[in-house]
Amino acid sequence: MSCFNVSPFTLVWLTCVVLGLLVGHTHAQVVLTVPQELSLSPNKSTQQLSISWLGGDATYFDLMILRTELNETVFYETVSSRVNPLSGRHHWTWTSVEPLECTSLSVQVRSRDGQATSEWSSTQILQGNDIPSIEKSQMFPQDRIVYVGSNTTFCCIVKEGNQFDTIHYGSTVMNVTRLSRRTYTITVTNQMPSQPSGTNVFCRNKPDLCGTVVFVGYPPQPSDFACETKDLKSAVCYWNEGRDTHLYGIRRTLYSLNNRTCVVSDTEKHKQCASAQWEGTWTLKAKNDLGQYTLSDSAEIRHRVHPVAPQELTSVAFSSNSTVQWKWKYDSYASLALVCEVVLTSQEFEKKYTFSGVGLQSAFFSDLYPDEEYVGKVRCGAQQNFWKWGNWSEPFNFKTKVSAPDPPDVWMRMNGDDSVQIIWKRLSRKQSHGRITGFIVTLWSSEEDLQQNHFSANTLTVSINLTEISTLSRDRKVTASIFAKNAGGLSQPANLVLPLHFTEPTVVSRVVYSDGGFPLSWQSDANAPCGYVVDWHDAFCMPNCSVEWIKVAAEITDISIESVNFEPGVRYNLSLYSCSSEAPKLLHRWQGYMQELVPSSAVSQLIANQQDSAVLLTWKEIPLFNRRGFLQGYNIYISNGSQLTLLANLLDPGRREYRVQGLSEGSYKFTVKAYTSAGEDTGTTSSITLETPIYRFILAILASLGFTSLFMVVVAFFCYKKRKWVKTAFYPDIPEPKLPGDWSRTQRPLDVKPSPHSMVHIVEKPEWDSSKEVLIAIPEDNEGEDGLGDEPADTDEPTSLRYYNQVVDERPIRPRFPDSSLSSTSSLDSGRTDVTYTGIQTSGSSFVFQLDSEASSEDHKQQLAVEHSASCEDGGLGYRPQMQPSAPSDDMGPMSAEAFDDPQGGPGSWGYKPQCSWHLDSPVEAEESAGFAPSLGSPTSVASTQFLLADGEEHVEEKRQSSTAATWFTNLLSSTKQ
Amino acid sequence: MRPALLEPRARSTVRLLSPFLLGARGPMAHKPTSRSAGSDRSRTTPGRAAAVAQLLHHECSVLLELYRKKESFTKDLTVADGHLVSVPPQSSQLDDRDKLWRLHSALLQCRSLLERAAAREEEEFGSGKKGEYETQRNTVKDRLSYLIDSTGELLRAADGKTVSTPDLGVEVKSLFELKLWVYRVFHEVEYWAKTASTTLQELSVSATEAKPRARIPRTRSARSARR
Repeated sequence: MSCFNVSPFTLVWLTCVVLGLLVGHTHAQVVLTVPQELSLSPNKSTQQLSISWLGGDATYFDLMILRTELNETVFYETVSSRVNPLSGRHHWTWTSVEPLECTSLSVQVRSRDGQATSEWSSTQILQGNDIPSIEKSQMFPQDRIVYVGSNTTFCCIVKEGNQFDTIHYGSTVMNVTRLSRRTYTITVTNQMPSQPSGTNVFCRNKPDLCGTVVFVGYPPQPSDFACETKDLKSAVCYWNEGRDTHLYGIRRTLYSLNNRTCVVSDTEKHKQCASAQWEGTWTLKAKNDLGQYTLSDSAEIRHRVHPVAPQELTSVAFSSNSTVQWKWKYDSYASLALVCEVVLTSQEFEKKYTFSGVGLQSAFFSDLYPDEEYVGKVRCGAQQNFWKWGNWSEPFNFKTKVSAPDPPDVWMRMNGDDSVQIIWKRLSRKQSHGRITGFIVTLWSSEEDLQQNHFSANTLTVSINLTEISTLSRDRKVTASIFAKNAGGLSQPANLVLPLHFTEPTVVSRVVYSDGGFPLSWQSDANAPCGYVVDWHDAFCMPNCSVEWIKVAAEITDISIESVNFEPGVRYNLSLYSCSSEAPKLLHRWQGYMQELVPSSAVSQLIANQQDSAVLLTWKEIPLFNRRGFLQGYNIYISNGSQLTLLANLLDPGRREYRVQGLSEGSYKFTVKAYTSAGEDTGTTSSITLETPIYRFILAILASLGFTSLFMVVVAFFCYKKRKWVKTAFYPDIPEPKLPGDWSRTQRPLDVKPSPHSMVHIVEKPEWDSSKEVLIAIPEDNEGEDGLGDEPADTDEPTSLRYYNQVVDERPIRPRFPDSSLSSTSSLDSGRTDVTYTGIQTSGSSFVFQLDSEASSEDHKQQLAVEHSASCEDGGLGYRPQMQPSAPSDDMGPMSAEAFDDPQGGPGSWGYKPQCSWHLDSPVEAEESAGFAPSLGSPTSVASTQFLLADGEEHVEEKRQSSTAATWFTNLLSSTKQ
Repeated sequence: MRPALLEPRARSTVRLLSPFLLGARGPMAHKPTSRSAGSDRSRTTPGRAAAVAQLLHHECSVLLELYRKKESFTKDLTVADGHLVSVPPQSSQLDDRDKLWRLHSALLQCRSLLERAAAREEEEFGSGKKGEYETQRNTVKDRLSYLIDSTGELLRAADGKTVSTPDLGVEVKSLFELKLWVYRVFHEVEYWAKTASTTLQELSVSATEAKPRARIPRTRSARSARR
């Protein structure tokens, strides 16, 4: 239990401590006295309230400030305050946000010692201006000057009985806070610089208006302060105003120099203040309501000399020099080392000269141009310890005298017509040294004058006939000397050895304009000791055209030719000549454009010619003048509607033709456009229509005919040579029937009695056409209408048939019964009448092939005889003539062709249509088959046409002429048979 | 539109010194005054003076507008009622000469007020720079002087006696009151410019109607001058 083992000494000590604390506490409670004699001392401009009181020995006090009227706490803090040893009073200063006039404030103080406090002191009230005894409306603070960016609280005390409306800061209506019954405040933060008359803050309290003005600005901040002297005695100090303070009028910045007030201009930013003596050290103070700024400067007087401007300047001028003199305002400058700057300006240039010397008072100018007006001005500064240039003097002027002019710059141009054009440049003002009165051109050879001519001042070119001159010269070397003259005399001669022969350049190369000129370079020529001449002119230069040139030193081998006369789209010739004691020699020539343009005209005479299926385009070149650039080629286009399709790009500008291949028949438009580096011209268009050549067409027809004819001849020849084989192969002889008895060849109707199994319906055709004859089969007995409508078919009843000639339609008639034609295909081809066991059938060929009219006529005669006999001997035994019931006729005329055309024409047309031709020889055979006519029903060869063809060789020939080739061929075969 | 109320404070701080109080003579005072040197009386007519007054009225309106813009004053800003210029009240008893004298006296006071206002402004706020407002203020002042010369010549032509320039003092406690006072001065000049225009037009009509009668005093005046 050692932890509780407390010694007696310790107990005594603890007891003493506790008692001490108790005694001390009792003693403190006694010391905290209530502060007495509380006093308030306001500083309304700074809005500070100085509070003092008698507070005993306490060092800490609680301070409480209330707005009296509304009993609102404004400030409540514990502050530490020391006692003024003299007065024994405690002091504390409180700064109010609002002006102290805004409203009444109540102040109380009490002592504090730790947690222990005394009672509050009696309340002291700082009365505001809102007390009832001050009835008028007021605004605070009045006419305050504050820093830019600061915050200010304004209060408005409304007139007793008025109604508060608004508070404006400038043109802004502000939010207000009420402090008392009549007081309202606004707080403006971060205030911006005000205008010269300040910013108005006004309070509308109907019907009154009160306000204040606040000025927001900066303290002064001048700069660049320095002092200098002009007379080596007094001083003038300069400075810049610096930042705008935004305070003007009575609030402007005031300056003092070494505590002497300076009167400065309000409008100038650069201020100055003079001092009668050079003090060596200066202090500038700048002050306004917001602050003060101080600048200092110190210097030796000789280090700050700023000379005044020279005055009373006079000049003496000659042709190429002049002297100018001046005076100084201060005599003290006589010992001052000065450096002076003189600027001379003439009509075309300005030049600066510098002179120096002690007390300098004159300047000499050499190398002046004669007959030139000069204007000058002078300024000076200290040569040693230069500070700054003085002011420029008033301008002075003088004019130099006239002197002999400079020699003119002479060149020549060979015209190519055995004449040379001597040209020289107009002398400039600097070169003429006075007004030029004329030129003298002298031609001489070996010190012998050949010619001398005077020209006016405006003459710049002379043309010389080389032939004439060369005859006068003995050594074939003629020199032209050109003199310029003015009132001062003749110039030195400008000599030029004239070339007596015109030489063309051997090489012409192109040069591209770049960087404002034509860059030319060449190899140095040993034969050009005095350099080179480069001349240039329009490539289309006619004689006596404008030529420009430049003379180049011998060591220079490249140059850029620049001229204001260069124009786009113009080709220039630039020629390099060597300069020597002999005539200028052409070394090289260039051609170039300042700027290439598109050609001004298109190619001319564009012609499109057809060559077979191709088109050859030809054109003429663009005139050189219109090219306006180096032609690079041509573009060939074909028009496709409104669009151009590029066909070819010809890179050869010398080409004048182009062949367009692979075109079909039709119309085409071709456009040719030349182009330079600048682009294409507008183009020339030519049209052409492609056609197949007529001779080719004719040739094809003739060739076809030839081949056909040749083939026919070959075939005919073959057939003729092989006619036996052909006949055997295709037309074998039909063996003649061997008939018993005598077969007379008397002409009578052929009565054929078909076999009972071969009935033939004979169509009666009563019409007679004298021009055509056919054989008409006449049935032996009249058959009814039924029989007419029947198809040719076998009948059970044997019928006797009578045949005679009858005209048939020449036109081919379609076989009415396809079966019939099918069954006798070979008959159609052979053109004969087939006689089969079914009876007499009309072969297709009888409808297809026309009969010869003569042959028909011949047959007709024979038929008439047959018919006649038939009609007389008919008696109902033989065939009756086939009649057309619908077309009655008085006589037995030929059958109408229309009857054959129209199968519906009548009952008669429905019947059998017999073979149109009937060989008279056949009746022999027919008679042989009389009765049952076995030949009709026998399987006779279909190839047999013997008795169906017209007899006689002439008939065959006539048919061949009027029938087709097939008929001809058939007849040919028939002829071969006979 | 005339201001509706006269602010008591403004009345108490702006001390108006009437020309009558300063000993300036009215038409009945018969105190001789000097004439403007070099003036061409024969060319001045009431009609011409009325035109000048009309122009002055317009220029005053422009000046007021510029001032309102400069000081962020709105048109409805209330200024103290009453006139800064003190002249006998308008009465039907006044003849044309008395009307002219009254007008001439008021214009003289206006010029004095205007000059004082400009001087105070320059003193308090002058920056040395001449802006649009300062230029217009000078224009109004010059035009007012011309109108005063014109009315003075008319007054002399009517055998009336001109008045000396009154000394109108001004006392303001704050800059804001100064601005309000300047504003009142401009209003006053505008008012009297308008009054001058109206009065001179009336005189012009009256002179036209009674042309033969108007020659009498001129003849009498010329006769007395010869004596």
